[in-house]
Amino acid sequence: MSEVQRKKYSDKDKNAIFDQEFMPHIDSMYNFAYRLTFDEDDAKDLVQDTYLKAYRFINSFERGTNAKAWLFRILKNSFINEYRKKSKQPSKVDYQEVETYYNSDNVDYNMTSDLRVDAVKDMLGDEISNALNSLAVDFRTVIILCDLEGFTYEEMAKILDIPIGTVRSRLHRARNLLKEKLKGYAQNMGYDTEEDQ
Amino acid sequence: MDKNFNSSSERKLNCRDVGKCFKLLESILDGEADLESKALLDEKLEKCQPCFEHFHLEKVIREVLKTKCTKRVVPVELADTIRQKIQEIK
Repeated sequence: MSEVQRKKYSDKDKNAIFDQEFMPHIDSMYNFAYRLTFDEDDAKDLVQDTYLKAYRFINSFERGTNAKAWLFRILKNSFINEYRKKSKQPSKVDYQEVETYYNSDNVDYNMTSDLRVDAVKDMLGDEISNALNSLAVDFRTVIILCDLEGFTYEEMAKILDIPIGTVRSRLHRARNLLKEKLKGYAQNMGYDTEEDQ
Repeated sequence: MDKNFNSSSERKLNCRDVGKCFKLLESILDGEADLESKALLDEKLEKCQPCFEHFHLEKVIREVLKTKCTKRVVPVELADTIRQKIQEIK
């Protein structure tokens, strides 16, 4: 929404953009909203607010550009501004502390996991979803955007208002945290995670 | 790209530059790497056990996230409610 207003669309154009470029993403938007809020009503409100804002600021959207990334950015900002405070999922970690840590671009890539490929393959959808849902919201968000929604690093940088280097490092940390959660499930399933392949 | 797991005896067991290699492997899996970097991939997977293991674990993590995460169906009335609200603000 920070883009310079280029032109004014006619009502007919606005409706066409809304129906053809915005509404097809309602499914992804709702799932993103639900994974942020963990509440059906909050997710509905968040998606609705996002679409209303998108319509209100439609003149700042350039037709034919990436509508999905544009809408996701509005949704993410609405979530931060209005929903995060009242989110029913209490934050498990002190946000400031985590933010300082993960906004650093220096990532330790030496950390290896003894989680096994076969153990991950055998996991149930609920286990994968629960592991993802248990991550702090900013880690969860990068995984949703990259792995579930297929955004590029560049698109994610725009959606989240962070540099590409931070996208990369945050993703790496998020997946390492996810692996730790999955390792817990793997151990419960009886996989020996300590043994080499 | 999928190599046989049993051929690991031919790979070196320590990677000299884990940081650089893992960063590259993750970029490739995320669709961010250029052709030149992709050309390095086969060589790394062929010769280096830590790279091989990291690549396959990272790959399967992405696959299960993409295919197994529970998806919720959008409430049927949501699209209509949005259109109705937009009519009101017009």
